[in-house]
Amino acid sequence: MALSGMRGLSVFISDVRNCQNKEQERLRVDKELGNVRTRFKNEKGLSPYEKKKYVWKMLYIYMLGYDVDFGHMEAVSLISAPKYPEKQVGYIVTACLLNENHDFLRLAINTVRNDIIGRNETFQCLALTLVGNIGGREFAESLAADVQKLLISSSCRPLVRKKAALCLLRLYRKNPDVVNVDGWADRMAQLLDERDLGVLTSSMSLLVALVSNNHEAYWSCLPKCVKTLERLARNQDIPQEYTYYGIPSPWLQVKTMRALQYFPTVEDPNTRRSLFEVLQRILMGTDVVKNVNKNNASHAVLFEALALVMHLDAEKEMMSQCVALLGKFIAVREPNIRYLGLENMTRMLMVTDVQDIIKRHQAQIITSLKDPDISIRRRALDLLYGMCDVSNAKDIVEELLQYLSSADFAMREELSLKAAILAEKFAPDLSWYVDVILQLIDKAGDFVSDDIWFRVVQFVTNNEDLQSYAAAKAREYLNKPAIHETMVKVSAYILGEYGHLLARRPGYSPKELFTIIHEKHPTVSTSTIPILLSSYAKILMHTQPPEPELQNQIWTIFNKYESCIDVEIQQRAAEYFALSRKGASLMDILAEMPKFPERQSALIRKAEDAEVDTAEQSAIKLRAQQQMSTALVVTDQRPPNGMPAQPSIGPLSLVKVPSETVDSQNPGDQGLTHPNGVVYKEDPQPPSQDIIGDLLGTLSIEGPPGAVAQSPQSATYEAEGAPSAADAAALVPVGEESGSVQPIGNINERFYALCLKDSGVLYEDPNIQIGIKAEWRAHQGRLVLFLGNKNTASLGSVQALILPPTHLKMELSLVPETIPPRAQVQCPLEVMNLRPSRDVAVLDFSYKFGPTMVNVKLRLPAVLNKFLQPITVSPEEFFPQWRSLSGPPLKLQEVVRGVRPLPLPEMANLFNTYRLTVCPGLDPNPNNLVASTTFYSETTRAMLCLVRIETDPADRTQLRMTVASGDPTLTFELKEFIKEQLVSIPTAPQRPQGPAAPPPPVAQITAPPPAASQDPGALLAGLL
Amino acid sequence: MIKAVMVMNTQGKPRLTKFYEFLDFWCVVLCSRAENVSNFMEADSIFGPDSRLVYKHYATLYFVFVFDSSENELAMLDLIQVFVETLDKCFRNVCELDIVFNYSKLHTILDEIIFGGQVLETSSAEVMKARISLKLYRISYQNSFWLEE
Repeated sequence: MALSGMRGLSVFISDVRNCQNKEQERLRVDKELGNVRTRFKNEKGLSPYEKKKYVWKMLYIYMLGYDVDFGHMEAVSLISAPKYPEKQVGYIVTACLLNENHDFLRLAINTVRNDIIGRNETFQCLALTLVGNIGGREFAESLAADVQKLLISSSCRPLVRKKAALCLLRLYRKNPDVVNVDGWADRMAQLLDERDLGVLTSSMSLLVALVSNNHEAYWSCLPKCVKTLERLARNQDIPQEYTYYGIPSPWLQVKTMRALQYFPTVEDPNTRRSLFEVLQRILMGTDVVKNVNKNNASHAVLFEALALVMHLDAEKEMMSQCVALLGKFIAVREPNIRYLGLENMTRMLMVTDVQDIIKRHQAQIITSLKDPDISIRRRALDLLYGMCDVSNAKDIVEELLQYLSSADFAMREELSLKAAILAEKFAPDLSWYVDVILQLIDKAGDFVSDDIWFRVVQFVTNNEDLQSYAAAKAREYLNKPAIHETMVKVSAYILGEYGHLLARRPGYSPKELFTIIHEKHPTVSTSTIPILLSSYAKILMHTQPPEPELQNQIWTIFNKYESCIDVEIQQRAAEYFALSRKGASLMDILAEMPKFPERQSALIRKAEDAEVDTAEQSAIKLRAQQQMSTALVVTDQRPPNGMPAQPSIGPLSLVKVPSETVDSQNPGDQGLTHPNGVVYKEDPQPPSQDIIGDLLGTLSIEGPPGAVAQSPQSATYEAEGAPSAADAAALVPVGEESGSVQPIGNINERFYALCLKDSGVLYEDPNIQIGIKAEWRAHQGRLVLFLGNKNTASLGSVQALILPPTHLKMELSLVPETIPPRAQVQCPLEVMNLRPSRDVAVLDFSYKFGPTMVNVKLRLPAVLNKFLQPITVSPEEFFPQWRSLSGPPLKLQEVVRGVRPLPLPEMANLFNTYRLTVCPGLDPNPNNLVASTTFYSETTRAMLCLVRIETDPADRTQLRMTVASGDPTLTFELKEFIKEQLVSIPTAPQRPQGPAAPPPPVAQITAPPPAASQDPGALLAGLL
Repeated sequence: MIKAVMVMNTQGKPRLTKFYEFLDFWCVVLCSRAENVSNFMEADSIFGPDSRLVYKHYATLYFVFVFDSSENELAMLDLIQVFVETLDKCFRNVCELDIVFNYSKLHTILDEIIFGGQVLETSSAEVMKARISLKLYRISYQNSFWLEE
């Protein structure tokens, strides 16, 4: 039964199958591709049959994973073949090989349209399938109306109509601005009365798309959905072919319940009652049966019903019934159901009041960590992480630790991160936290990121009670014969710092400590040696009175490393060696580390960052993040008056308030300790103004070698700059807060230039250049930010946050944390305009170069005129429109004074650059200008806007402006926008008026509403 | 939305691939999974965020659907079953060889079940009807029956 007797094709497939290895297969495929290519070149000799055969071969080769970059034209051309077999091949292969942006598709639009509006049902199906699979914007523009007609046509068979429904769905999803669904609510309600379950399933999918976009308009469909669900759940009037293993179309049941989840609530009490009756029936009537397929189908419905119950916020009784069901599921034999039971329990955690009921199943969930299936183990881990709180943290974390040694390698990193976060969030006491982290490092050192051990060092440093405990613990671990390198790092650090606290205990003398640390020395890599050296220096310092033998040993080591190839090690060795000969001054310099400033855990931040990837809520999350990061800056900096900043009570209430003792140790350095918002490891080191300050810098536990030379001047400057960052909510013009890094060029000028063109430089300073390239299409835009590092060193801590105004939906793709030297990274930013507004989006950008943190806030050129599209209207179109929009609020008039005097042609140019098309000749008065444009936003869709400017030849500084459109907000915003452009001189903009103004207005706002009768513009009134 | 459908054999050779959303071609080794585990896998790392993968193993073939969170996992598993049952009806005891040599039919059947990433038809009887009507049509066309109509 080969492909309709295409022998050549069967032979080719057999050949490929007979190939012994990949190489042979490639040779055979290459040979065939060469053959097909030659045949296509001399197309004249090709019969439709041959063409068909070759195109099938191409598809087969493509499916095997080879690139097929030719012959697309031949595939597309087959679509217009008159006979079914060729046409079918054309459609199928085109839909597989081409994507919606392919140019060749344009060639097919007409044929496709003819097939859709033609009477031949089979051709209609083929054409709809193509459009539904790869139809792009142009297809939507020319075909949406025809497809809509097919869907509601009574003469079409269900076979065609169900395809039309999904085809429309695709066109609408891809181009909501093109496919007009206004007034579709009634039609959708009608479609839901459909008896044919195939059409009903497709219509339900279409409804889900429409409702998810705007549920308000489709309230009338809600009772119909409930009716459909009732019909299915009670198995009324369901044809045999739609019963799947005895269950009435589970897919339609699931889809219907999905649709219901897009309505915020069910208000009508009767509908609500019947819905809950059905749900109750589903919840209670499902049992685990032997037949796998039946089981799957009934549970598909059941899990969807659970989701709907959660969504509807049912009474507590029903909720606990649900949790009880889930508890049953996570213990069943069927793995799919266990998996979904765990997943849905995790979802259920978001519903209030059920956490306690879920906790009852903790033991079973912990057992699931040992499930043979990794998918299930992951779900169990997620659930345990989600349900952890103070009451059960100890149990859960200890379980996780125990599980760590037997867990898959693929899961260990996630597991250790989660355990560390839970331990930190819910630690009942701090020594427990230290125990957990040390165990974590011991058991899964390779999977413990540096953040985790930095964090434990921070805790120990900030909590005096903990220091001797931690030192004793570290000593215990060092006794073990083989330990992970991270454990060596953290133990050496803690013992160097706090080992002396235990000096009187046996086994803790400086000499013994040194010996036990130095035993590990031969096993460690270069990244650990600097920490060991610091530790030795500290031990040496704490040895009072000095022991010459120990001193000699340590000096020998320093001596040895003075010629080390690694700069960091070499510098430390040389400096410690020199310092340790200075005797008493060593004490001051190597004194105990000051406390770390309060800050959010890098781990928790990491976990939060990882959550930001669902497209839908990203705007909200970005904002939340933004608020958080401002809070961080405020907490981290120290006010210039020398008072320590009050640490905020954040997620880390465990860390005690830094006490005054720190400051008394370093009295001279207070103002400099925490430079403006600099969040990195060095900042606990007080940079001092003499050379010792530099030396101290090297004590940092992870400091890059380049970070040592922080000049006193720049530190002072940053400390002074701190207050301006404190009111970061107000938008400060750049240069003022960015410390020593000054921007190149005028930022305002760059912004205004970018308002008029679509690519250019947004910001530049000696380290970085930020370029922008933008594409605008109706109410959507795609900006690409080009972040270019101009230096030969990398830029670190790069962060870009978008602060969108309420009318823009903006989504920035991931920005890498570091930009390599001389590299440029591109970060696409998707913009969607929801409503007319003149507010401006702001990019909050920061990076770290060496020790300097640079932060700038830049306005983004996603301004009102970007959503305009020029349009020329004829007098026949213009005047009826102009008249129909009579008076406020759709038509607004205003006399503007203080206008920058411009000759009329220049003003016309200005209008054209803002995409307002000036229509010459419409207004008989040569002193007047008439312009038109289309504005796009999600709420207004495409809307025609008309503008008329009446100038006074005697006084060019004033004019009268009339703006009309079908939307009052749009009219107002457009009028204000034009006014701003006419009043301001974009190259030298006036300053924003008050500090209270939210995003800075582009220009001064002038002209209170004038009395129309007295102004000169009134003279021109009667002209139109 | 369903993002991709794949059929592959136990050696990882693709037998049918259809993408409803652009995805890089890949080949995953499902064969290492034991028999008694769930049919779900995390696919985020391969297909980007919000991707789930459901597969079903029949003799020498794996049927794989990739989709996002707007679909119900078990319903997708059922859909694989519908697809396979339809193939079975079409080829009378379908085997890998049928699929290898008749991938055009596979595409036609798949197009009747999934349409642009959405579930189109869930009744294998209906799918067969649609296919038969196409087949009949082809015969009648060759007898130039249609042109007279």
